[in-house]
Amino acid sequence: MTADVDAAPASSAAAQTTIGPARPMTSQGRRWLRLRSTLAVLVTQLVVLAGFLAFWEFMTGQNKAAAFMFGSPSAIFKFLSQMVYDGSLWRDTSVTGLETLLGFFVGNCIGTLIGLSLWYSRFVSRVVEPFVIALGSIPIIALAPIIIIWFGTGLISKVAMSTLSVVIVALVTSYKGATGVDPDQINLLRTLGASKFQIFRKLVVPASLADIFAGLKLTVGFALIGAIVGEFMSSSEGLGHAIFKAGSLYIIPKVFAALVATIALALLLTFAVGKIEQLLMPWRRQQR
Amino acid sequence: MIETSLKTQTGTGVAAPAPPLVVEHVAKSYELDGGGIVPVIGDLSLTLREGEIVSIVGPSGCGKTTLLNTLCGLLAPDAGRIRWHGREVAGQPQNVGYMLQKDLLLPWRTALGNTMLGLEIRGMPWAQAEDRCRAMLDQLGLHGFADHYPTTLSGGMRQRVALARTLVNEPDVLLLDEPFAALDFQSKLLIENDTVGLVRQGRRSLLLITHDIEEAVSLADRVIVLSKRPTQIKAVYDIALGADRHDVISVRQAPGFSDHVRSIWADLDVVLQ
Ligand SMILES: Nc1ncnc2c1ncn2[C@@H]1O[C@H](COP(=O)(O)OP(=O)(O)OP(=O)(O)O)[C@@H](O)[C@H]1O
Ligand SMILES: [Mg+2]
Repeated sequence: MTADVDAAPASSAAAQTTIGPARPMTSQGRRWLRLRSTLAVLVTQLVVLAGFLAFWEFMTGQNKAAAFMFGSPSAIFKFLSQMVYDGSLWRDTSVTGLETLLGFFVGNCIGTLIGLSLWYSRFVSRVVEPFVIALGSIPIIALAPIIIIWFGTGLISKVAMSTLSVVIVALVTSYKGATGVDPDQINLLRTLGASKFQIFRKLVVPASLADIFAGLKLTVGFALIGAIVGEFMSSSEGLGHAIFKAGSLYIIPKVFAALVATIALALLLTFAVGKIEQLLMPWRRQQR
Repeated sequence: MIETSLKTQTGTGVAAPAPPLVVEHVAKSYELDGGGIVPVIGDLSLTLREGEIVSIVGPSGCGKTTLLNTLCGLLAPDAGRIRWHGREVAGQPQNVGYMLQKDLLLPWRTALGNTMLGLEIRGMPWAQAEDRCRAMLDQLGLHGFADHYPTTLSGGMRQRVALARTLVNEPDVLLLDEPFAALDFQSKLLIENDTVGLVRQGRRSLLLITHDIEEAVSLADRVIVLSKRPTQIKAVYDIALGADRHDVISVRQAPGFSDHVRSIWADLDVVLQ
Protein backbone atom coordinates (compact mmCIF):
# COMPACT_ATOMS: atom_id res chain seq x y z
CA MET A 1 0.00 0.00 0.00
CA THR A 2 2.76 2.44 0.91
CA ALA A 3 4.69 1.64 -2.21
CA ASP A 4 1.52 2.11 -4.15
CA VAL A 5 1.05 5.60 -2.72
CA ASP A 6 4.62 6.63 -3.39
CA ALA A 7 4.40 5.55 -6.98
CA ALA A 8 1.16 7.44 -7.51
CA PRO A 9 1.37 9.61 -10.62
CA ALA A 10 -0.75 12.42 -9.11
CA SER A 11 1.17 12.63 -5.88
CA SER A 12 3.32 15.23 -7.61
CA ALA A 13 0.37 17.60 -7.28
CA ALA A 14 -0.01 16.91 -3.59
CA ALA A 15 3.64 16.84 -2.63
CA GLN A 16 5.30 19.88 -4.14
CA THR A 17 8.60 20.19 -2.42
CA THR A 18 10.21 22.46 -4.98
CA ILE A 19 9.43 26.14 -4.70
CA GLY A 20 7.43 27.47 -7.59
CA PRO A 21 4.00 28.67 -8.56
CA ALA A 22 1.31 26.37 -7.19
CA ARG A 23 -0.07 24.26 -9.98
CA PRO A 24 -3.85 23.99 -10.11
CA MET A 25 -4.94 20.48 -9.30
CA THR A 26 -6.34 18.56 -12.23
CA SER A 27 -9.70 16.87 -11.88
CA GLN A 28 -7.89 13.62 -12.50
CA GLY A 29 -5.61 14.40 -9.59
CA ARG A 30 -8.58 15.12 -7.35
CA ARG A 31 -10.27 11.90 -8.34
CA TRP A 32 -7.10 10.00 -7.57
CA LEU A 33 -6.82 11.63 -4.14
CA ARG A 34 -10.40 10.72 -3.34
CA LEU A 35 -9.88 7.16 -4.53
CA ARG A 36 -6.75 6.92 -2.44
CA SER A 37 -8.52 7.94 0.77
CA THR A 38 -11.37 5.49 0.04
CA LEU A 39 -8.76 2.80 -0.52
CA ALA A 40 -7.03 3.63 2.75
CA VAL A 41 -10.34 3.23 4.63
CA LEU A 42 -11.04 -0.05 2.90
CA VAL A 43 -7.59 -1.47 3.60
CA THR A 44 -7.83 -0.49 7.28
CA GLN A 45 -11.22 -2.17 7.52
CA LEU A 46 -9.85 -5.37 5.99
CA VAL A 47 -6.85 -5.34 8.33
CA VAL A 48 -9.12 -4.96 11.39
CA LEU A 49 -11.38 -7.77 10.16
CA ALA A 50 -8.44 -10.07 9.39
CA GLY A 51 -6.92 -9.38 12.80
CA PHE A 52 -10.21 -10.19 14.50
CA LEU A 53 -10.64 -13.43 12.55
CA ALA A 54 -7.02 -14.47 13.25
CA PHE A 55 -7.50 -13.83 16.98
CA TRP A 56 -10.74 -15.87 16.95
CA GLU A 57 -9.14 -18.73 15.06
CA PHE A 58 -6.13 -18.75 17.34
CA MET A 59 -8.12 -18.71 20.60
CA THR A 60 -10.51 -21.46 19.53
CA GLY A 61 -7.70 -23.53 18.03
CA GLN A 62 -6.17 -23.89 21.51
CA ASN A 63 -9.25 -25.23 23.21
CA LYS A 64 -11.85 -27.78 22.14
CA ALA A 65 -14.54 -26.45 24.48
CA ALA A 66 -14.06 -22.92 23.19
CA ALA A 67 -14.26 -24.21 19.61
CA PHE A 68 -17.58 -25.80 20.42
CA MET A 69 -18.96 -22.75 22.18
CA PHE A 70 -17.75 -20.06 19.82
CA GLY A 71 -17.15 -21.84 16.54
CA SER A 72 -14.14 -20.77 14.53
CA PRO A 73 -13.64 -18.93 11.26
CA SER A 74 -12.35 -22.06 9.54
CA ALA A 75 -15.34 -24.12 10.74
CA ILE A 76 -17.71 -21.36 9.64
CA PHE A 77 -16.05 -21.32 6.26
CA LYS A 78 -16.39 -25.10 6.03
CA PHE A 79 -20.14 -24.87 6.70
CA LEU A 80 -20.51 -21.98 4.29
CA SER A 81 -18.91 -23.93 1.46
CA GLN A 82 -20.99 -26.96 2.32
CA MET A 83 -24.15 -24.79 2.22
CA VAL A 84 -23.08 -23.41 -1.14
CA TYR A 85 -22.44 -26.92 -2.36
CA ASP A 86 -25.83 -28.37 -1.34
CA GLY A 87 -27.63 -25.24 -2.59
CA SER A 88 -29.20 -24.40 0.77
CA LEU A 89 -27.27 -21.13 1.13
CA TRP A 90 -28.69 -19.69 -2.05
CA ARG A 91 -32.17 -21.03 -1.33
CA ASP A 92 -32.33 -19.73 2.25
CA THR A 93 -30.79 -16.39 1.37
CA SER A 94 -33.12 -15.81 -1.56
CA VAL A 95 -36.18 -16.78 0.50
CA THR A 96 -35.25 -14.40 3.32
CA GLY A 97 -34.15 -11.79 0.79
CA LEU A 98 -37.51 -11.88 -0.93
CA GLU A 99 -39.43 -11.63 2.34
CA THR A 100 -37.25 -8.75 3.48
CA LEU A 101 -37.49 -6.91 0.20
CA LEU A 102 -41.27 -7.22 0.05
CA GLY A 103 -41.69 -6.17 3.67
CA PHE A 104 -39.25 -3.31 3.20
CA PHE A 105 -41.04 -2.11 0.09
CA VAL A 106 -44.61 -2.44 1.34
CA GLY A 107 -43.80 -1.07 4.81
CA ASN A 108 -41.93 1.94 3.48
CA CYS A 109 -44.55 2.70 0.82
CA ILE A 110 -47.39 2.63 3.33
CA GLY A 111 -45.44 4.42 6.08
CA THR A 112 -44.06 7.14 3.83
CA LEU A 113 -47.39 7.72 2.12
CA ILE A 114 -49.18 8.16 5.44
CA GLY A 115 -46.34 10.16 6.97
CA LEU A 116 -46.20 12.61 4.07
CA SER A 117 -49.94 12.98 3.72
CA LEU A 118 -50.26 13.77 7.43
CA TRP A 119 -48.58 17.06 6.46
CA TYR A 120 -51.82 17.97 4.74
CA SER A 121 -53.88 18.24 7.87
CA ARG A 122 -52.69 19.41 11.24
CA PHE A 123 -56.01 18.15 12.63
CA VAL A 124 -55.64 14.61 11.36
CA SER A 125 -52.02 14.40 12.44
CA ARG A 126 -52.95 15.47 15.97
CA VAL A 127 -55.70 12.86 16.06
CA VAL A 128 -53.37 10.15 14.80
CA GLU A 129 -50.32 10.98 16.93
CA PRO A 130 -51.10 8.98 20.12
CA PHE A 131 -52.10 5.95 18.06
CA VAL A 132 -48.83 6.05 16.18
CA ILE A 133 -46.89 6.24 19.43
CA ALA A 134 -48.91 3.35 20.86
CA LEU A 135 -48.37 1.18 17.78
CA GLY A 136 -44.69 2.08 17.68
CA SER A 137 -44.18 0.84 21.21
CA ILE A 138 -45.51 -2.68 20.52
CA PRO A 139 -42.65 -5.18 20.26
CA ILE A 140 -43.25 -6.75 16.87
CA ILE A 141 -42.24 -10.18 18.11
CA ALA A 142 -45.28 -10.15 20.38
CA LEU A 143 -47.46 -10.02 17.28
CA ALA A 144 -45.82 -13.02 15.62
CA PRO A 145 -48.23 -15.67 16.96
CA ILE A 146 -51.25 -13.64 15.83
CA ILE A 147 -49.70 -12.97 12.45
CA ILE A 148 -49.22 -16.69 11.93
CA ILE A 149 -52.83 -17.36 12.86
CA TRP A 150 -53.98 -14.69 10.44
CA PHE A 151 -51.62 -15.22 7.53
CA GLY A 152 -50.49 -18.83 7.87
CA THR A 153 -46.94 -20.10 7.93
CA GLY A 154 -45.94 -19.21 4.38
CA LEU A 155 -44.35 -16.20 2.72
CA ILE A 156 -47.18 -13.79 3.56
CA SER A 157 -46.77 -14.03 7.32
CA LYS A 158 -43.04 -13.20 7.09
CA VAL A 159 -43.71 -10.30 4.76
CA ALA A 160 -46.34 -9.08 7.23
CA MET A 161 -43.86 -9.27 10.11
CA SER A 162 -41.27 -7.43 8.05
CA THR A 163 -43.78 -4.78 6.97
CA LEU A 164 -44.90 -4.18 10.55
CA SER A 165 -41.30 -3.74 11.68
CA VAL A 166 -40.79 -1.05 9.06
CA VAL A 167 -44.01 0.87 8.74
CA ILE A 168 -43.99 3.00 11.91
CA VAL A 169 -40.38 4.08 11.49
CA ALA A 170 -41.04 5.02 7.87
CA LEU A 171 -44.14 6.96 8.92
CA VAL A 172 -42.38 8.89 11.66
CA THR A 173 -39.27 9.78 9.64
CA SER A 174 -41.23 10.96 6.60
CA TYR A 175 -43.65 12.96 8.76
CA LYS A 176 -40.70 14.58 10.50
CA GLY A 177 -39.26 15.45 7.10
CA ALA A 178 -42.53 16.91 5.85
CA THR A 179 -43.16 19.07 8.90
CA GLY A 180 -39.55 20.23 9.01
CA VAL A 181 -39.94 22.26 5.80
CA ASP A 182 -38.93 25.91 6.23
CA PRO A 183 -42.17 27.95 6.64
CA ASP A 184 -40.57 30.81 4.70
CA GLN A 185 -40.19 28.46 1.77
CA ILE A 186 -43.87 27.56 2.00
CA ASN A 187 -44.73 31.27 2.11
CA LEU A 188 -42.60 31.88 -0.96
CA LEU A 189 -44.48 29.25 -2.92
CA ARG A 190 -47.77 30.70 -1.72
CA THR A 191 -46.82 34.14 -3.01
CA LEU A 192 -45.95 32.50 -6.32
CA GLY A 193 -49.56 31.33 -6.39
CA ALA A 194 -49.02 27.66 -5.59
CA SER A 195 -51.95 25.53 -4.48
CA LYS A 196 -51.60 23.28 -1.46
CA PHE A 197 -51.04 20.29 -3.73
CA GLN A 198 -48.35 22.16 -5.67
CA ILE A 199 -46.62 23.05 -2.42
CA PHE A 200 -46.79 19.39 -1.46
CA ARG A 201 -45.42 18.12 -4.73
CA LYS A 202 -42.80 20.75 -5.51
CA LEU A 203 -41.59 21.47 -2.00
CA VAL A 204 -42.67 19.09 0.75
CA VAL A 205 -41.95 15.81 -1.02
CA PRO A 206 -38.48 16.67 -2.34
CA ALA A 207 -37.56 18.43 0.90
CA SER A 208 -38.47 15.26 2.81
CA LEU A 209 -36.34 13.00 0.63
CA ALA A 210 -33.30 13.28 2.89
CA ASP A 211 -35.31 12.14 5.91
CA ILE A 212 -37.09 9.46 3.89
CA PHE A 213 -33.77 7.98 2.82
CA ALA A 214 -32.44 8.12 6.36
CA GLY A 215 -35.53 6.08 7.26
CA LEU A 216 -34.94 3.67 4.37
CA LYS A 217 -31.40 2.95 5.53
CA LEU A 218 -32.60 2.42 9.08
CA THR A 219 -35.44 0.11 8.05
CA VAL A 220 -33.29 -2.27 5.97
CA GLY A 221 -32.20 -3.81 9.25
CA PHE A 222 -35.70 -3.74 10.73
CA ALA A 223 -37.18 -5.45 7.67
CA LEU A 224 -34.58 -8.19 7.91
CA ILE A 225 -35.18 -8.68 11.63
CA GLY A 226 -38.93 -8.89 11.00
CA ALA A 227 -38.49 -11.56 8.36
CA ILE A 228 -36.09 -13.61 10.46
CA VAL A 229 -38.25 -13.41 13.58
CA GLY A 230 -41.15 -14.61 11.42
CA GLU A 231 -39.04 -17.54 10.29
CA PHE A 232 -38.10 -18.35 13.87
CA MET A 233 -41.75 -18.78 14.70
CA SER A 234 -42.55 -21.28 12.00
CA SER A 235 -40.94 -21.96 8.67
CA SER A 236 -39.39 -24.59 6.50
CA GLU A 237 -36.78 -22.46 4.78
CA GLY A 238 -34.94 -19.16 5.02
CA LEU A 239 -31.93 -17.92 6.95
CA GLY A 240 -33.94 -17.57 10.16
CA HIS A 241 -35.00 -21.18 9.79
CA ALA A 242 -31.37 -22.24 9.23
CA ILE A 243 -30.19 -20.29 12.28
CA PHE A 244 -32.96 -21.70 14.44
CA LYS A 245 -32.36 -25.27 13.36
CA ALA A 246 -28.59 -25.14 13.71
CA GLY A 247 -28.94 -23.43 17.08
CA SER A 248 -31.28 -26.02 18.49
CA LEU A 249 -28.83 -28.73 17.37
CA TYR A 250 -25.89 -26.84 18.98
CA ILE A 251 -24.06 -26.53 15.63
CA ILE A 252 -22.68 -23.11 16.45
CA PRO A 253 -20.43 -22.61 13.39
CA LYS A 254 -23.46 -23.22 11.22
CA VAL A 255 -25.38 -20.54 13.11
CA PHE A 256 -22.53 -18.16 12.35
CA ALA A 257 -22.42 -19.26 8.73
CA ALA A 258 -26.09 -18.34 8.34
CA LEU A 259 -25.41 -15.08 10.17
CA VAL A 260 -22.65 -14.26 7.68
CA ALA A 261 -25.19 -14.68 4.89
CA THR A 262 -27.64 -12.45 6.82
CA ILE A 263 -25.04 -9.74 7.22
CA ALA A 264 -24.13 -9.96 3.54
CA LEU A 265 -27.81 -9.54 2.67
CA ALA A 266 -28.14 -6.48 4.91
CA LEU A 267 -25.01 -4.91 3.42
CA LEU A 268 -26.23 -5.56 -0.10
CA LEU A 269 -29.62 -3.95 0.57
CA THR A 270 -28.06 -0.94 2.31
CA PHE A 271 -25.68 -0.49 -0.59
CA ALA A 272 -28.60 -0.61 -3.05
CA VAL A 273 -30.52 2.01 -1.04
CA GLY A 274 -27.44 4.24 -1.05
CA LYS A 275 -27.13 3.93 -4.83
CA ILE A 276 -30.80 4.78 -5.33
CA GLU A 277 -30.36 7.79 -3.04
CA GLN A 278 -27.47 9.04 -5.16
CA LEU A 279 -29.58 8.60 -8.29
CA LEU A 280 -32.61 10.39 -6.87
CA MET A 281 -30.71 13.20 -5.16
CA PRO A 282 -28.03 14.26 -7.63
CA TRP A 283 -27.75 17.73 -6.08
CA ARG A 284 -26.19 16.14 -3.01
CA ARG A 285 -23.49 14.54 -5.09
CA GLN A 286 -22.46 17.82 -6.71
CA GLN A 287 -22.14 19.31 -3.26
CA ARG A 288 -19.04 17.32 -2.45
CA MET B 1 -64.94 51.80 -4.74
CA ILE B 2 -66.88 50.15 -7.57
CA GLU B 3 -66.03 53.04 -9.79
CA THR B 4 -62.32 52.70 -9.11
CA SER B 5 -62.21 49.04 -9.83
CA LEU B 6 -64.04 49.53 -13.10
CA LYS B 7 -61.48 52.08 -14.18
CA THR B 8 -58.70 49.70 -13.33
CA GLN B 9 -60.22 47.01 -15.45
CA THR B 10 -60.86 49.07 -18.52
CA GLY B 11 -57.97 51.42 -18.04
CA THR B 12 -59.69 54.08 -20.15
CA GLY B 13 -60.98 56.33 -17.40
CA VAL B 14 -60.07 59.99 -17.41
CA ALA B 15 -58.79 59.81 -13.86
CA ALA B 16 -55.55 57.96 -13.22
CA PRO B 17 -55.99 54.24 -12.53
CA ALA B 18 -55.86 53.13 -8.92
CA PRO B 19 -52.35 52.89 -7.53
CA PRO B 20 -50.92 49.37 -7.32
CA LEU B 21 -51.04 49.29 -3.54
CA VAL B 22 -53.05 51.30 -1.03
CA VAL B 23 -52.84 50.51 2.66
CA GLU B 24 -55.40 52.13 4.95
CA HIS B 25 -55.21 52.02 8.74
CA VAL B 26 -53.82 48.53 8.97
CA ALA B 27 -53.23 47.09 12.43
CA LYS B 28 -51.76 43.74 13.35
CA SER B 29 -50.91 42.02 16.61
CA TYR B 30 -49.67 38.59 17.55
CA GLU B 31 -51.28 36.37 20.12
CA LEU B 32 -48.77 34.75 22.38
CA ASP B 33 -49.11 31.15 23.51
CA GLY B 34 -49.48 32.33 27.07
CA GLY B 35 -52.54 34.37 26.06
CA GLY B 36 -50.90 37.78 25.90
CA ILE B 37 -51.19 40.02 22.88
CA VAL B 38 -48.29 41.83 21.24
CA PRO B 39 -49.46 44.80 19.20
CA VAL B 40 -46.98 45.05 16.34
CA ILE B 41 -48.47 47.38 13.75
CA GLY B 42 -50.35 50.25 15.41
CA ASP B 43 -52.07 52.12 12.61
CA LEU B 44 -50.42 52.36 9.27
CA SER B 45 -51.45 53.85 5.95
CA LEU B 46 -49.38 54.20 2.82
CA THR B 47 -49.70 54.32 -0.93
CA LEU B 48 -47.35 52.84 -3.48
CA ARG B 49 -47.76 54.47 -6.88
CA GLU B 50 -46.98 52.98 -10.25
CA GLY B 51 -43.28 53.02 -11.06
CA GLU B 52 -42.41 54.22 -7.60
CA ILE B 53 -39.71 52.87 -5.31
CA VAL B 54 -40.44 53.27 -1.61
CA SER B 55 -38.03 52.23 1.13
CA ILE B 56 -39.11 51.44 4.64
CA VAL B 57 -36.67 51.75 7.51
CA GLY B 58 -37.34 51.30 11.19
CA PRO B 59 -35.86 49.96 14.38
CA SER B 60 -35.22 46.24 14.60
CA GLY B 61 -38.30 44.32 15.70
CA CYS B 62 -40.71 47.14 14.91
CA GLY B 63 -42.76 44.97 12.59
CA LYS B 64 -41.41 45.51 9.08
CA THR B 65 -41.46 41.84 8.17
CA THR B 66 -44.89 41.51 9.73
CA LEU B 67 -46.07 44.40 7.57
CA LEU B 68 -44.75 42.79 4.41
CA ASN B 69 -46.30 39.42 5.22
CA THR B 70 -49.60 41.13 5.93
CA LEU B 71 -49.49 43.02 2.64
CA CYS B 72 -49.02 39.91 0.56
CA GLY B 73 -51.74 38.01 2.33
CA LEU B 74 -49.60 35.61 4.34
CA LEU B 75 -50.99 37.14 7.54
CA ALA B 76 -54.45 38.60 8.01
CA PRO B 77 -54.60 42.17 9.33
CA ASP B 78 -56.63 42.79 12.50
CA ALA B 79 -58.02 46.00 11.09
CA GLY B 80 -57.75 48.22 8.05
CA ARG B 81 -57.83 47.64 4.32
CA ILE B 82 -55.25 46.61 1.79
CA ARG B 83 -56.14 47.32 -1.82
CA TRP B 84 -54.17 46.05 -4.78
CA HIS B 85 -54.98 48.02 -7.91
CA GLY B 86 -58.07 49.30 -6.16
CA ARG B 87 -59.38 45.93 -5.05
CA GLU B 88 -59.24 44.02 -1.82
CA VAL B 89 -58.15 40.45 -2.47
CA ALA B 90 -58.66 37.33 -0.44
CA GLY B 91 -55.49 35.30 -0.09
CA GLN B 92 -52.40 36.11 -2.12
CA PRO B 93 -52.48 39.03 -4.54
CA GLN B 94 -51.45 38.27 -8.10
CA ASN B 95 -48.45 39.75 -9.85
CA VAL B 96 -46.62 40.48 -6.65
CA GLY B 97 -43.01 39.43 -6.23
CA TYR B 98 -41.75 38.60 -2.77
CA MET B 99 -38.16 38.20 -1.74
CA LEU B 100 -36.38 37.85 1.58
CA GLN B 101 -32.87 38.07 2.94
CA LYS B 102 -32.76 34.27 2.80
CA ASP B 103 -32.59 33.32 -0.86
CA LEU B 104 -34.89 30.31 -0.24
CA LEU B 105 -33.53 28.49 -3.26
CA LEU B 106 -34.60 24.87 -3.47
CA PRO B 107 -31.39 22.83 -3.24
CA TRP B 108 -32.71 20.10 -5.53
CA ARG B 109 -33.30 22.50 -8.38
CA THR B 110 -30.64 24.11 -10.52
CA ALA B 111 -30.47 27.89 -10.90
CA LEU B 112 -32.70 27.50 -13.94
CA GLY B 113 -35.11 25.18 -12.14
CA ASN B 114 -35.42 27.62 -9.26
CA THR B 115 -36.06 30.50 -11.64
CA MET B 116 -38.78 28.48 -13.39
CA LEU B 117 -40.71 27.84 -10.18
CA GLY B 118 -43.26 30.64 -10.58
CA LEU B 119 -43.93 30.04 -14.27
CA GLU B 120 -44.23 26.32 -13.65
CA ILE B 121 -46.82 26.93 -10.95
CA ARG B 122 -48.78 29.09 -13.35
CA GLY B 123 -48.65 26.31 -15.90
CA MET B 124 -46.63 28.02 -18.61
CA PRO B 125 -45.40 25.58 -21.29
CA TRP B 126 -41.98 24.30 -20.38
CA ALA B 127 -40.02 25.44 -23.42
CA GLN B 128 -41.39 28.96 -23.25
CA ALA B 129 -40.71 29.20 -19.51
CA GLU B 130 -37.18 27.92 -20.00
CA ASP B 131 -36.42 30.52 -22.67
CA ARG B 132 -37.67 33.33 -20.50
CA CYS B 133 -35.78 32.12 -17.46
CA ARG B 134 -32.52 31.67 -19.32
CA ALA B 135 -32.84 35.18 -20.71
CA MET B 136 -33.52 36.55 -17.22
CA LEU B 137 -30.51 34.74 -15.76
CA ASP B 138 -28.34 36.10 -18.57
CA GLN B 139 -29.62 39.59 -17.90
CA LEU B 140 -28.62 39.29 -14.25
CA GLY B 141 -25.11 38.20 -15.13
CA LEU B 142 -25.56 34.50 -14.52
CA HIS B 143 -24.82 33.36 -18.02
CA GLY B 144 -23.36 29.86 -17.92
CA PHE B 145 -24.61 29.14 -14.39
CA ALA B 146 -28.15 28.10 -15.28
CA ASP B 147 -27.45 24.43 -14.74
CA HIS B 148 -25.59 24.83 -11.44
CA TYR B 149 -27.10 23.71 -8.18
CA PRO B 150 -27.40 26.45 -5.51
CA THR B 151 -24.73 24.86 -3.30
CA THR B 152 -22.15 25.54 -5.98
CA LEU B 153 -22.99 29.26 -6.25
CA SER B 154 -21.70 32.17 -4.17
CA GLY B 155 -24.00 34.15 -1.87
CA GLY B 156 -24.26 37.01 -4.35
CA MET B 157 -25.04 34.65 -7.21
CA ARG B 158 -27.67 32.85 -5.16
CA GLN B 159 -29.38 36.14 -4.37
CA ARG B 160 -29.29 36.97 -8.07
CA VAL B 161 -31.03 33.69 -8.83
CA ALA B 162 -33.64 34.59 -6.20
CA LEU B 163 -34.06 37.96 -7.91
CA ALA B 164 -34.42 36.26 -11.29
CA ARG B 165 -37.02 33.91 -9.81
CA THR B 166 -38.96 36.98 -8.62
CA LEU B 167 -38.60 39.15 -11.74
CA VAL B 168 -39.26 36.48 -14.35
CA ASN B 169 -42.92 36.42 -13.28
CA GLU B 170 -43.09 40.09 -14.33
CA PRO B 171 -44.68 41.30 -11.11
CA ASP B 172 -46.25 44.78 -11.05
CA VAL B 173 -45.14 45.18 -7.48
CA LEU B 174 -42.09 43.86 -5.69
CA LEU B 175 -42.02 43.44 -1.94
CA LEU B 176 -38.46 42.96 -0.79
CA ASP B 177 -37.43 42.34 2.82
CA GLU B 178 -33.75 43.19 3.35
CA PRO B 179 -32.88 41.28 0.19
CA PHE B 180 -29.27 42.41 0.04
CA ALA B 181 -28.45 42.53 3.75
CA ALA B 182 -26.26 39.44 3.70
CA LEU B 183 -24.09 40.55 0.79
CA ASP B 184 -20.70 42.23 0.75
CA PHE B 185 -20.65 45.91 -0.16
CA GLN B 186 -19.53 45.43 -3.74
CA SER B 187 -22.00 42.69 -4.68
CA LYS B 188 -24.67 44.68 -2.93
CA LEU B 189 -24.07 47.81 -5.03
CA LEU B 190 -24.04 45.82 -8.24
CA ILE B 191 -27.19 43.85 -7.52
CA GLU B 192 -28.96 46.99 -6.24
CA ASN B 193 -28.13 48.67 -9.50
CA ASP B 194 -29.47 45.76 -11.54
CA THR B 195 -32.63 45.59 -9.47
CA VAL B 196 -33.37 49.29 -9.80
CA GLY B 197 -32.62 49.15 -13.50
CA LEU B 198 -35.05 46.31 -14.11
CA VAL B 199 -37.73 47.83 -11.88
CA ARG B 200 -37.58 51.28 -13.46
CA GLN B 201 -37.30 49.92 -16.98
CA GLY B 202 -40.45 47.81 -16.51
CA ARG B 203 -42.27 50.63 -14.68
CA ARG B 204 -42.78 48.30 -11.76
CA SER B 205 -43.30 49.46 -8.19
CA LEU B 206 -41.01 48.43 -5.39
CA LEU B 207 -41.45 48.38 -1.64
CA LEU B 208 -38.06 47.79 -0.08
CA ILE B 209 -37.47 47.08 3.56
CA THR B 210 -33.92 47.69 4.67
CA HIS B 211 -31.68 48.42 7.62
CA ASP B 212 -29.22 50.21 5.43
CA ILE B 213 -30.15 53.90 5.33
CA GLU B 214 -27.79 54.68 2.46
CA GLU B 215 -29.38 51.88 0.47
CA ALA B 216 -32.83 53.25 1.30
CA VAL B 217 -31.93 56.77 0.14
CA SER B 218 -29.96 55.77 -2.93
CA LEU B 219 -32.68 53.52 -4.34
CA ALA B 220 -35.94 55.12 -3.34
CA ASP B 221 -38.16 57.95 -4.45
CA ARG B 222 -39.57 58.02 -0.95
CA VAL B 223 -38.32 56.77 2.41
CA ILE B 224 -40.76 55.92 5.16
CA VAL B 225 -39.41 55.83 8.70
CA LEU B 226 -41.33 53.66 11.14
CA SER B 227 -41.50 54.11 14.89
CA LYS B 228 -40.93 51.46 17.54
CA ARG B 229 -43.57 48.83 18.24
CA PRO B 230 -46.56 49.24 17.94
CA THR B 231 -45.34 50.79 14.77
CA GLN B 232 -46.63 53.89 13.03
CA ILE B 233 -45.20 56.11 10.37
CA LYS B 234 -42.80 58.49 12.03
CA ALA B 235 -41.58 60.45 9.04
CA VAL B 236 -41.69 60.41 5.26
CA TYR B 237 -38.91 61.78 3.06
CA ASP B 238 -39.27 62.52 -0.61
CA ILE B 239 -35.90 61.89 -2.12
CA ALA B 240 -35.46 64.39 -4.94
CA LEU B 241 -31.83 64.12 -5.80
CA GLY B 242 -32.18 65.24 -9.37
CA ALA B 243 -29.63 62.69 -10.46
CA ASP B 244 -30.08 59.76 -12.80
CA ARG B 245 -32.16 57.44 -10.65
CA HIS B 246 -31.12 54.40 -12.66
CA ASP B 247 -27.63 54.60 -11.23
CA VAL B 248 -27.54 53.91 -7.50
CA ILE B 249 -23.80 54.41 -7.34
CA SER B 250 -23.56 57.94 -8.67
CA VAL B 251 -26.58 58.98 -6.62
CA ARG B 252 -24.46 58.51 -3.55
CA GLN B 253 -22.32 61.45 -4.69
CA ALA B 254 -25.31 63.73 -5.39
CA PRO B 255 -25.63 66.86 -3.27
CA GLY B 256 -28.26 66.32 -0.62
CA PHE B 257 -27.67 62.58 -0.36
CA SER B 258 -25.84 62.75 2.94
CA ASP B 259 -28.32 65.28 4.35
CA HIS B 260 -31.10 62.77 3.81
CA VAL B 261 -29.06 60.00 5.37
CA ARG B 262 -28.29 62.16 8.38
CA SER B 263 -31.85 63.22 9.07
CA ILE B 264 -33.12 59.64 8.79
CA TRP B 265 -30.41 58.57 11.20
CA ALA B 266 -31.65 61.19 13.60
CA ASP B 267 -35.24 59.96 13.20
CA LEU B 268 -34.28 56.41 14.03
CA ASP B 269 -33.01 57.52 17.45
CA VAL B 270 -30.17 55.10 17.34
CA VAL B 271 -28.42 55.38 20.64
CA LEU B 272 -24.79 54.69 20.04
CA GLN B 273 -22.59 52.92 22.55
N1 LIG C 1 -45.13 34.61 15.01
C1 LIG C 1 -44.94 35.54 15.97
N2 LIG C 1 -45.53 35.41 17.16
C2 LIG C 1 -45.36 36.33 18.13
N3 LIG C 1 -44.61 37.43 17.99
C3 LIG C 1 -43.99 37.63 16.82
C4 LIG C 1 -44.12 36.70 15.74
N4 LIG C 1 -43.39 37.15 14.70
C5 LIG C 1 -42.83 38.30 15.12
N5 LIG C 1 -43.19 38.60 16.37
C6 LIG C 1 -42.81 39.81 17.13
O1 LIG C 1 -43.28 40.91 16.40
C7 LIG C 1 -42.32 41.94 16.39
C8 LIG C 1 -42.04 42.37 14.98
O2 LIG C 1 -41.40 41.33 14.27
P1 LIG C 1 -40.89 41.54 12.79
O3 LIG C 1 -40.18 40.31 12.37
O4 LIG C 1 -42.01 41.98 11.95
O5 LIG C 1 -39.86 42.74 12.99
P2 LIG C 1 -38.88 43.42 11.94
O6 LIG C 1 -39.16 44.86 11.95
O7 LIG C 1 -38.96 42.73 10.62
O8 LIG C 1 -37.49 43.14 12.62
P3 LIG C 1 -36.07 43.06 11.93
O9 LIG C 1 -35.73 44.44 11.53
O10 LIG C 1 -35.18 42.57 13.01
O11 LIG C 1 -36.18 42.11 10.77
C9 LIG C 1 -41.11 41.42 17.12
O12 LIG C 1 -41.09 41.99 18.39
C10 LIG C 1 -41.32 39.94 17.20
O13 LIG C 1 -40.85 39.48 18.43
MG1 LIG D 1 -37.57 41.56 9.51
